[in-house]
Amino acid sequence: MNSEFVQKWQSQVKKGTLAFILLNVLRDNEFYGYELIEQVKKYTTIEIAEGTLYPLMNRLKKEGLVTSKWVEQESGIPRKYYQLTAIGVETLDEMIEYWQSLETSIKKLTK
Amino acid sequence: MKNIEFKDKSAQKIYDNYFGRIRRTISVLADNDKQDVLMEFNSHIYEGILNNSNTNEVEKILKITQDLGDPEVVLKPLVADKKLKQATRTFNPKHIFEAIFLNIKNGFVYSVFAILYILLLGFGILMYLKIRYPENTGLFLKDGEFVALGMLKTNENVTEVLGNWFIPAVFFSALTLYVLLTILLRTTRKRKKE
Repeated sequence: MNSEFVQKWQSQVKKGTLAFILLNVLRDNEFYGYELIEQVKKYTTIEIAEGTLYPLMNRLKKEGLVTSKWVEQESGIPRKYYQLTAIGVETLDEMIEYWQSLETSIKKLTK
Repeated sequence: MKNIEFKDKSAQKIYDNYFGRIRRTISVLADNDKQDVLMEFNSHIYEGILNNSNTNEVEKILKITQDLGDPEVVLKPLVADKKLKQATRTFNPKHIFEAIFLNIKNGFVYSVFAILYILLLGFGILMYLKIRYPENTGLFLKDGEFVALGMLKTNENVTEVLGNWFIPAVFFSALTLYVLLTILLRTTRKRKKE
């Protein structure tokens, strides 16, 4: 087995699906940055610098898929909450549909 | 932004140093964007500390900052994008220059923009030449047909048609092209997928 090739491929897949994972995490709940990363870690074994999540959230905001708001905390250090927009929900539905069709094809192929 | 205070001096130093690196990385951004990034990373670190059961502050802050990654690397796409947004909103040449520089590796299209903006400098050179060599610089026609825009050894056959209007005409042409180019840059940013 060429483990180096597999590792590279895995890293590409993870990178390519990160936005999909984030949108799924935000589907039913709003989360602040740290919490969002904890959720991502809970569901996946993604090994990226956590800081890269913030530019990615900025991109999802730019695309109109999420919105954010600062919420003051008693500690004096506010949290920035992210939530899906209506466009975000529609986009995610489309992505899920594609993912499922891809999954079906892969299953047929690897049978 | 409310800074996090540590009891351990070394932990405080690590935190301050990390924020110093973030500040340097985002120094080209507008104040509200800077504030937003700093507050978000501060919030992340604060929540990370609360959720980490380790009692050693140095180990805690080290783990959190290591997991976050190098600000210079992780914040690069965010800085490049926000700078471009600021530049195309304000039309400020300084911001445009910085934005193009930060985005030049993000696509061939930004190299094209860089060349087009540099070409605009040519208009400035034309205005200078008109002041320095008024007789030999201008829009030259021969029998009603275009010969040259720029510097020419004048002779009887060609006529310079703009005269004193040359500098205002060149200035407004450059300004119009600059505005159009910047609007195009704004559209490119919106359409471009990372």
